[in-house]
Amino acid sequence: MPYISELIGKPVADVDGVRIGYLRDIVAGVKGAMPHPQVVALEIMRASHAGVMRASRVGVKRPAGAVLVPFSEVVVLVAPGIPLAHTLAGIAPYVPLENDLFLVRDILDQQIIDVNGVRVVRVNDLELARVNGAFYLANVDIGSAGLLRRLGLLRLLPRRARRSVAGRGGPGIISWDDVEPISKNRQLRLKVPGEKITDLHPADLAEIISDLGRSDGSTLLESLDAKTAAGALEEVETDFQARLVKTMPDEKVADVLEEMSPDEAADLLAELPEKRSESLLDLMGKEDAADVRKLLAYPEGSAGGIMTTEFITVQAARTAAQAMRAIRLSAHEAETIFYVYVTDRKKKLEGVFSLKELVLAEPKTPVAQFMHERIMSVNLRDSQDTVAQLVSKYNLLAVPVVDDEGRLHGIVTADDALDKIIPTAWKKRLPRLYH
Amino acid sequence: MRFSHRFRPLAARLALLASVIGPGIITANVDNDAGGITTYSIAGAHFGYTILWIMPLLAVVLIIVQELSARLGVVTGKGLADLIRESLGVRVTALVVGVLLIANLANTVSEFAGVAAGMEIFGVSKFISVPIAAVLVWLLIVRGNYRTVERVFLVASAIYLAYVAAGILEHPDWPLIGRSLVTPQFHFEKGYITILITIIGTTIAPWMQFYQQSAIADKGLEPSDYAYERIDVIIGSLFAIGVAVFITISCAATLHASGNRIETAKDAALALRSLAGPYASILFAVGLLNASVFSAAILPLSTAYVFCEAFGWESGVSRRIGEAPAFFGIFTAIIVIGAGIILLPVRSLVQMMILSQTLNGILLPLILVVMLILVNNRGLMGEKFVNGKFLNTVSITVIVLLTALTGMLVVTSLAG
Repeated sequence: MPYISELIGKPVADVDGVRIGYLRDIVAGVKGAMPHPQVVALEIMRASHAGVMRASRVGVKRPAGAVLVPFSEVVVLVAPGIPLAHTLAGIAPYVPLENDLFLVRDILDQQIIDVNGVRVVRVNDLELARVNGAFYLANVDIGSAGLLRRLGLLRLLPRRARRSVAGRGGPGIISWDDVEPISKNRQLRLKVPGEKITDLHPADLAEIISDLGRSDGSTLLESLDAKTAAGALEEVETDFQARLVKTMPDEKVADVLEEMSPDEAADLLAELPEKRSESLLDLMGKEDAADVRKLLAYPEGSAGGIMTTEFITVQAARTAAQAMRAIRLSAHEAETIFYVYVTDRKKKLEGVFSLKELVLAEPKTPVAQFMHERIMSVNLRDSQDTVAQLVSKYNLLAVPVVDDEGRLHGIVTADDALDKIIPTAWKKRLPRLYH
Repeated sequence: MRFSHRFRPLAARLALLASVIGPGIITANVDNDAGGITTYSIAGAHFGYTILWIMPLLAVVLIIVQELSARLGVVTGKGLADLIRESLGVRVTALVVGVLLIANLANTVSEFAGVAAGMEIFGVSKFISVPIAAVLVWLLIVRGNYRTVERVFLVASAIYLAYVAAGILEHPDWPLIGRSLVTPQFHFEKGYITILITIIGTTIAPWMQFYQQSAIADKGLEPSDYAYERIDVIIGSLFAIGVAVFITISCAATLHASGNRIETAKDAALALRSLAGPYASILFAVGLLNASVFSAAILPLSTAYVFCEAFGWESGVSRRIGEAPAFFGIFTAIIVIGAGIILLPVRSLVQMMILSQTLNGILLPLILVVMLILVNNRGLMGEKFVNGKFLNTVSITVIVLLTALTGMLVVTSLAG
C-alpha cells in the first residue's frame, strides 16, 4: 500500500491532461465508527505558485496557490501522475472540517504517542490502505526504513537488506489504532483523547507526559478528564507538576485538584504562587478545599505536611459489623483500608486494628475488645525522618498523626513516608539530562 | 488568615533565579574548550594585546546568538533539532545533523587531545590519561546521578578562574590592556586575519545553540523564566569571553613579549614555566585539562541528544541502556572513537582541530538562518516573543558578518 512520502510531490493533472500542480498534502477525516481517518481531499499546490512558500510548513495558514480538491474528484491516487475528473474551474473546493487532519502538516515529522509501547516517537512516514475504493490512514512508520525512504536512500540498499529493514509489520510500523497524535500551535487540538490514552496506567501516562516535556505535556494533560489527569499528576515530581499546570485554566486545575488526594494537592499548591493557590482553593469544592488548607498550614518537612486526611475511623463502642460497614462506605476515598483507627467523640485516638483482625472478629464483638491500645503515632510537628524511621522499624503500612492533645488529624502512608526520604538517593537520578 | 508556612518568602525567590541559571553558563564554559584555549593562546603569543579588541565585540555577538537560542527554547519547550525536523522536514534535518555529527566528533577528538596534552605537562603518558578520562566521562554521565553531575560541572566552571589567576601572576601591563580592549586595530597580514576568523569560529560554534536549547527545554523552563534565562545567557557569555581575555593576556604578557612562538596550548603551558614560573604554568595546564574533560563529557552527550530529538528515538540519561540503545550507542561511540583516534599514531592533532572548525564554519550560517526563520515565526513564538524589526536587523547583520567571516575561514583552511 502507498506511503505518503511516495505520493507527496507527484504531479496532478486535470481531465484534459493539463498539469495543474503537485500534491502538497493529504486531508483525512474521521468518519463514523471507523477509527482510521479516511482520505477526504488532496491539497494541490498550483504550478504557477509552486515554490513560493514550500518551506512554510510551520504556519497554520495555507499559502496562496494551494487548493483543496475533494477526493471524489480524484480518478487515481496511486499513479505516476494524479488525474482529476474535471477541470479545476469545474471543481468545488473542499472545505476542511475542524477535526480534519492534514497528514503532512499535522502528523508527518511530528511527535506521536505510541500507546502500546508507552513512549513518544517521531513519525517518519505514513502508510495508506485501500478499502472498497476509499483510502484510509492505516499505519505509522517510525522505523529506519521510513527515514531512508524519505531521504530517497532506500533504493540504494541491496534488495535483501531492503527487505529486512522494510519488512511489513516490522518493529518500525505501528497501527494508527495504537497511536495518539499530539498537536500544538495548530488549528487541530487534541480535544477528546481516545480511550487508548485514558486506559493507560497513571504511571505510564506520567512517563509519557514527562517525555513530551513541559509544553506538549501540559497540552495533553489539559485534554484529559479531571480524574485521569489527577492520577497522572500524582505520579510526576512536584516541581514538574507546577510547571504543567501553569498554563492550564484555573477551573480545570481546580477540578483536577479535587480528584487528587489532599496531601498531593497540598504539595502542588505549595509549589504555585500564593495568589494562584488562593484562587484555586476558592474554586475547589468546600470540603476538599478545607482538607487541603489544613494540610497547607503545616511546615513542609513535618508529619503534618505529608499526611493525608482521608482515613477510616470508628468509635470504640461500635461492633465489628458496624466497622465493616464504615469501611464499605468510605473505602473509595480513604488512602488505605488496612488500618481502622478508633477515636472518641473529641477525635482523640484510642486504638487501632487491622483489616485482618476485623475480618477474623465475630460480627457482634465491640471493636474495643480487639483493638490495640498501644499505638505507634507521630506528632504533627515531627520530622519526616522520624516518620520514616517509625514506619520501617515497626513495618507499618501507615502511621497516625496526632496533635499535642492526642487528637487524630491524619495518617502518613508508608509510601509517602519513604518517598520523602528515598528521592535524594535515586529518584533524582538525573531525571532529565541537563540542569 | 495564616494561610501557610510553606509558601516561599521573597528571599527564596532569588533561589528561583538560581534554579533557572545553568544552561547558559554551562554552554558558555564548554565553549572555552581545548580548541578555544589553543586558539586564544596562539593569538596572544603571536599578536600580543593587539588582538584583544575583538573580544568585547565577540561578547556582544555571542550574547545575541545565544539569546535567540534561549528564546526559542523557553517559548517552544523544544530542542533546536526538534524544531528543525518539525518545520523543515527530514532532508534538512538529516543534512544539519549529519554535519553536526562529524563536527562534534572532530571536536571531541580535539578535547581528548587536550586531555593528553594537559597530562603530558605533568609527565603522564597519553596512553594512561586518555583512556582514564574516557572511562571517567562515560561513567559520570551514565552512572552518575544528577546532583553529582551538577556539582562536578559547577566546580569545573570555577576552575576556569585558573586562567584569571595565571594572567594576574604574570603582572601584565593593565593600562595597555585596557586601551587594547577598546581600540580596534587591523593588520592586513594573512596570519592576523586567519587568527581573527579562527577566534570567531571557535567562540561561536553550532553545537552551542543545539546544546543550550536542549538544556533549556529539558530543564522545562517556560516563557515566564525568560528574564532569568536571559541573565543566565549574558552572565555565561561574559564569563566565557572574560576567561578568553585572560588566556590571551597570559600568553601575550610573556610569550609574545619574549618572542616565543607556539603551536599548541601545551607549548604555551611549557613556555610559561620558564617565563612566569611554575605556578602560572600549572594553572594553565590545569585549566586546559579541566576544559578538555568538561567538554569531552558535554559534546558526545549533546550529539546523542540532537540525534534522538531529530529522529524520535528514546533518549535520556535516566533510562537504562536497553531502553535507549541509540542514545547510549551514539554517546559511547563518540567517546570511544574520539579517545581512540588520539591513541593512534596520528601526525598532527592540529589538523583535527582545523577540520572541526571548518565544519563548524560550514554549519554555522545554515543554523543561524534556520534559527532566524524559526524565531520570526509568529505561530511558533507568539506575539510577545517573535523577533521585532530592530532585533531582526541586528540578527541579520550579525549573521551576514559571521557568514562572510566563517566563509573566509573555510576557504583559508581548505586552501591551507
